[in-house]
Amino acid sequence: MLELRNLTRAYELGGERAGVFDVSLQVPKGCLAVLAGPSGSGKTTLLQLAGLLDLPDEGEVRLDGQSVSNLPEKARCDLRLRRLGFVFQAFNLVPVLSALENVMLPLQLQGMADDEAQRRAGAALDRVGLADRSHHRPDQLSGGQQQRAAIARALAPDPLLVLADEPTASLDHAHGGPLMDLMAELARERGVTFLVASHDPAVISRAHRIFRLMDGQLIGEERP
Amino acid sequence: MILARLALRNLLRQRRRTALTLMVVVAGFLALSLAGGFMAQTFQGLADGAIRGGLGHLQVMPRDTMEGDEAQSLEKSLPDGEALAAQLRQDPAVAEILPRIQFMGLLSSGAKSVAFLGTAVDPMLEPKYMACTEALKGGAQATGGAGSRWLSADPTAREVILGVGLARALGASVGSSLTLMSTTREGALNAVDVDVAGLQDLGLRELNDRFLTVSLATANQLLDSGPARSRLSVLLKRPQDTAAVQARLQSLLPGTSVQPWFELASFYRQVKLLYFAIFGFMGLVLFLIVLLATANTLLMSVMERVREFGVLRAMGLQPRQLMVLLQWEGAFLGLLGSALGLIATLLLRAGLNALHLQMPAPPGTSHGYELNIHFVPAVYVLVALGLQATIQLSALFPGLKAARLRIVEALRHV
Repeated sequence: MLELRNLTRAYELGGERAGVFDVSLQVPKGCLAVLAGPSGSGKTTLLQLAGLLDLPDEGEVRLDGQSVSNLPEKARCDLRLRRLGFVFQAFNLVPVLSALENVMLPLQLQGMADDEAQRRAGAALDRVGLADRSHHRPDQLSGGQQQRAAIARALAPDPLLVLADEPTASLDHAHGGPLMDLMAELARERGVTFLVASHDPAVISRAHRIFRLMDGQLIGEERP
Repeated sequence: MILARLALRNLLRQRRRTALTLMVVVAGFLALSLAGGFMAQTFQGLADGAIRGGLGHLQVMPRDTMEGDEAQSLEKSLPDGEALAAQLRQDPAVAEILPRIQFMGLLSSGAKSVAFLGTAVDPMLEPKYMACTEALKGGAQATGGAGSRWLSADPTAREVILGVGLARALGASVGSSLTLMSTTREGALNAVDVDVAGLQDLGLRELNDRFLTVSLATANQLLDSGPARSRLSVLLKRPQDTAAVQARLQSLLPGTSVQPWFELASFYRQVKLLYFAIFGFMGLVLFLIVLLATANTLLMSVMERVREFGVLRAMGLQPRQLMVLLQWEGAFLGLLGSALGLIATLLLRAGLNALHLQMPAPPGTSHGYELNIHFVPAVYVLVALGLQATIQLSALFPGLKAARLRIVEALRHV
């Protein structure tokens, strides 16, 4: 489903060369895959390349068998809007919108009618257990609730792939574990592919496939 | 429409900053609209003064009137002006024709003589259509002006109305006997004894010092004018038809020059140009202030929402759509600012007009006037459109800045 071929993306950080170098990996459909490694190992960089948020210096990203990393800007935007979902460490919900409106946003940006967007957003919130908080704004939700709303937002457009960058880093253990259980369930139930960057053992323990990174290079792949 | 909704929410999120920016927009709208209303009052006053001061809506004159000076009275004239006037009165667009003779000469009290510029008018028609009796009221308040009245309709009466400055120079007052001296059409020196019927205040010092008015009959005796007239002032039934009637009359009267009042009212044109220059500059400054204030608000808003923009871009929002989002924010600021500005303008206009403030006499004129800021919807529309365009322009730079953000850097922004 997702294939990264010989990806290299280098940049200067504190006078040193950082990034990812010649990384290749494959993530099948419905898999909860984790990019694991210490800080600075290139997890986030690789996730951003896979999510078409950044462009590789070399190599290519293939999604469902098609090369997508060399698409023009507009096509990449459209792909992110319709086929990809994102979950961030800091939740990053739009503060002026309620949980429901946040989940509706990508659907409305696709041009979906408000009624239909509201129905689908409501269902997504229901699936993550936030139906009773749908009209609360982000600052009225706990961290765990915000992250579940962010997952609902990522899932609402029925994406092929959800990319999550340290989704549990801002949550305590009591909330992080259930959140990962939810992702694993969604991968199994709906066939959504997850690529998660994390060094949290609670995340890694729930992964179907683990890609270990060190200094920007893939040093191992595990299939627990 | 989701972008519009998002823009509105963002403005409401920063209520204090939005309110401050709106205040700048409202102040800009208020200042420009009130200035526009004041200008409209001034232009209307000047236009009325010019038209009812003797020009009429159109003037029919000999073709060469504007070229060179007259060596003798009625050298440049409409030879059978009265017949032409009678012909023009038949035109359906014409309300009335007021024939006039313009002449110059010396006015003597016996002890003193002063050069004058004279106008001869029909004493019956003139008060019906022109502001001559209003000028008389002003003259009646001047020294020697008590008892001022308009010229007698009796064709045998030999009377004169003097500008207040001219009367002062001669030491004349209402009832004084003076002698008008000029040359006839043939160049012979002639004189007529006249009684002062009244003094008039024409509003301009230079005119008051030189100007006098007599009846056409008196001018005929002095100048031996016969049916010749210097000009015909044409009053139209519909002033808005001035340009069309001018073109038609000009084609009907090829031997004459038909001019609209605004071509001949040089003072009106000069004041208009001056006002446009002053208020144009003021408007430019105000638009600049609005531009900077709004750009600052939107730029601050962009800087505070870098991460949010990163998220929106990650979700698939295109750079162009971020610019549209900022344009929507500008649009709401402009619409709301103009709406509030209009309300403030109407309230302040009503308040100022209710105070009946007396404005000082403008430069070159001799009396002030009451402030009456006009209600001019076209000005409000123009100001609103101008402000809206300014704000949309001010949203361009923040929009470009937002659109150029690199997603990965925006997501890292703290």
